[in-house]
Amino acid sequence: MKRRLNRRTKVVLYTCLIALVVAGAFIAGAAIPDSAVAADFTSTRQPPSWSHPFGTDALGRDLLARTLKGLSISLTVGTVASLISAVVAVLVGIAAAVGSPRVDAAVNWCIDLVMGVPHTVLIILISFALGRGLWGLLVGIAATHWTSLARLIRGEVMQLRSQQYIAVSRKLGKSSGWILTHHLLPHLVPQFIVGLILMFPHAILHEASISFLGYGLPPEQPAIGIILSESMQYLSTGMWWPAVFPGAVLVGIVLLVDRLGENLRMILDPYSAQE
Amino acid sequence: MIKKFFSLLLALTALLGLLTACGAAAVDHGGNGSQAGEAGGQDRDSVIIAISSEPETLDPCQGWGHGNTPIVQSTLVKYDYDMSFSNDLATGYNLSEDGLTWTFTLRDDAFFTDGEAVTASDVVFTFETAKAAQSSVDLTFLEAVEAPNDATVVFTLSRPTSTFLNTIASVGIVPEHAYGPDYGTNPIGSGPFKFVQWNPQEQLILEANEDYYGEVPAMKRVTIVFMDEDAALAAARAGQVDVALTAATLATAEVEGYRIENISTVDNRGFTLPVLPDTGEVTESGYPIGNDVTCNLEIRQAIAYAIDRQQVAEAAVNGYATPCYSENDGMPWNNPEVAIETDVDYAKQLLADAGWSDTDGDGIVERDGLKAEFVCLYPSGDSVRQAVAMAAAEQVRAIGINIIVEGTSWDDLAKRMFSNAVMMGWGAANPYESYCLYYSGGALKDDYYNPEGYMSEVTDGYLTAAMEALTVEDAYRNWQLAQWDGETGTAMKGECPWVWIVNIDHVYYVRDGLDIGRQQLHPHGASMPLLQNLQDWTWAE
Repeated sequence: MKRRLNRRTKVVLYTCLIALVVAGAFIAGAAIPDSAVAADFTSTRQPPSWSHPFGTDALGRDLLARTLKGLSISLTVGTVASLISAVVAVLVGIAAAVGSPRVDAAVNWCIDLVMGVPHTVLIILISFALGRGLWGLLVGIAATHWTSLARLIRGEVMQLRSQQYIAVSRKLGKSSGWILTHHLLPHLVPQFIVGLILMFPHAILHEASISFLGYGLPPEQPAIGIILSESMQYLSTGMWWPAVFPGAVLVGIVLLVDRLGENLRMILDPYSAQE
Repeated sequence: MIKKFFSLLLALTALLGLLTACGAAAVDHGGNGSQAGEAGGQDRDSVIIAISSEPETLDPCQGWGHGNTPIVQSTLVKYDYDMSFSNDLATGYNLSEDGLTWTFTLRDDAFFTDGEAVTASDVVFTFETAKAAQSSVDLTFLEAVEAPNDATVVFTLSRPTSTFLNTIASVGIVPEHAYGPDYGTNPIGSGPFKFVQWNPQEQLILEANEDYYGEVPAMKRVTIVFMDEDAALAAARAGQVDVALTAATLATAEVEGYRIENISTVDNRGFTLPVLPDTGEVTESGYPIGNDVTCNLEIRQAIAYAIDRQQVAEAAVNGYATPCYSENDGMPWNNPEVAIETDVDYAKQLLADAGWSDTDGDGIVERDGLKAEFVCLYPSGDSVRQAVAMAAAEQVRAIGINIIVEGTSWDDLAKRMFSNAVMMGWGAANPYESYCLYYSGGALKDDYYNPEGYMSEVTDGYLTAAMEALTVEDAYRNWQLAQWDGETGTAMKGECPWVWIVNIDHVYYVRDGLDIGRQQLHPHGASMPLLQNLQDWTWAE
């Protein structure tokens, strides 16, 4: 037996652990029934205690349950939005790279346009136009986060197309479709997965900040952004716990997911995979 | 990537910092406006007041002062503490036999702050301008206003209007010679205070009018700063304001050197419950009408009887509220019989008698497959309405009715209020409000008065009689009959289009030593009613 695990195995284990924690948070939030976050006016504004580890808010709702539920909503929004975003990025990136110069110019123009407007402003505009709520937020985040990944994919595809084995394939009479599915896409999978996961923290933070500003989820949804914006009202009366704990949990989850992405890149990226 | 995330966090922090900085700036201006703040009340003739809602204009013809004293201008008659009327610019008035002609005589010692005398032609000009502006002052019943001489004004109405004096008391007189498009931001009036300066979204500065025909106010300089409740509390903590409006949900904190004054109100909150079934009809603006659950009288009444109002007041707003049974509790035109006792058993009985029962064991009653469940909307961001709605909904769940409380924007609420319950609020110093709330002609309009679609010939009869009454007593009697005539009415034991829950107290932090006078029963809105008696405020020696 080996004396100790090699670095790659360690990273793989670490990655699994993080994935488990994130999945656990998601499942815990989804499993909590609505009744657990119902108003309870017999125990309002309680500081953290054993029965309410995160304390309760002004309506007597347990903040731990609300935070977990909120996290689960955030994770759903994050997953769906970054998935849509990543798929769009790959399609657009490939189109730009293999299409005519005109298509490339149009795509680049679009990317510059979306990147030129601050994300938050654009998400607010889109979310507002679509009547706010979950749907508006999803579309808003998805529509703003694809740009950098699209640019990356475009560069990657352009680089691949100049590779000799692609040229050989072409000379051997393989169709563009065959080259796409057998040479290009397999090479893009790591980029896609890592890009997807690294987009995720952004999506979650944007979801929280837009909800915080009042343009996202409706106020009775137990989202982290909502909890934080509610907590602002009571901060001056000395209630610190509705701001501190949900905020810390949000930051924690975002850092974890970010680390997950970095680790996955290490594992999947051919240059660092064997380190 | 982590770097990016931190920069995002930083940006957020910076944004928050910016917001607080704005708040602080406003406070500073308040402090600069007058020295009283920092000096801790050393300056005995000035006061700094923090309120949350800023007026849109200071022009009475455009709605300024409607329902409140216009402060800068003066009115022909004014309200006393007990809601009766006393003369102000007028020295007397009388009403013709047919109730159509009001004649006012004016005092001759009233002057605008630019030195010109207040004459009958100014009054005529004011009411003609206000009528043409069609703002929040309803003057549709005013046919003509004339000035036979400098000291007499004659109003001719198209129909007898018993609330005419209430209207008169809310329209400040503007000077014909100095009225223009910018009057709303730079007004000249004949009221107890003189306009000095208005920085929008920041502060409004007034000075005592030394030439006022009445008693000259003790406060020589009044600075009104506009900040939300949270910032106002911080300003009070820092000693920068003398009076700070706070929200009932926030008033748990003690501030040294300040006392909490909670003033009783008719600022009511309650559920509007659509009384019509959902038949697919839409309003003039195209929004759906009716709700199949709340259209049942027994459902509405069961909710009314199931709510323990005192408990809601304690739970939701720290006890800064009183039980509410109608739109005008405590006003002289209120019928005391509208009050009901909380009776959960009776509420359950009502449901059972009408065939509602919990057959599937989920705690919610149903009838013919229809669950007793509906959505109640409230404007998100209004913590008081949210708390009241949720506290009441929790109590109602005990009798098997499920009210789903949902926060939304006012825009969205305006589209859905005809088919959903709404946590609504009214409360005015004018019985005309009852007419707006319940007259069938006003039902299902976009003005928030009667979204529930209440229409009743009996009520219309009383309301019309009250409006056209020639004496105050007769008017009050009919207002009361409209609420409850022994058989039916707008009260909860009658047709119950509203389930009234609480009157929210208006809560202020007031610096020790400052006397804010005797406050009358406040109408809806906590900011302006406070200033109603500004001329009576004094500092204790």
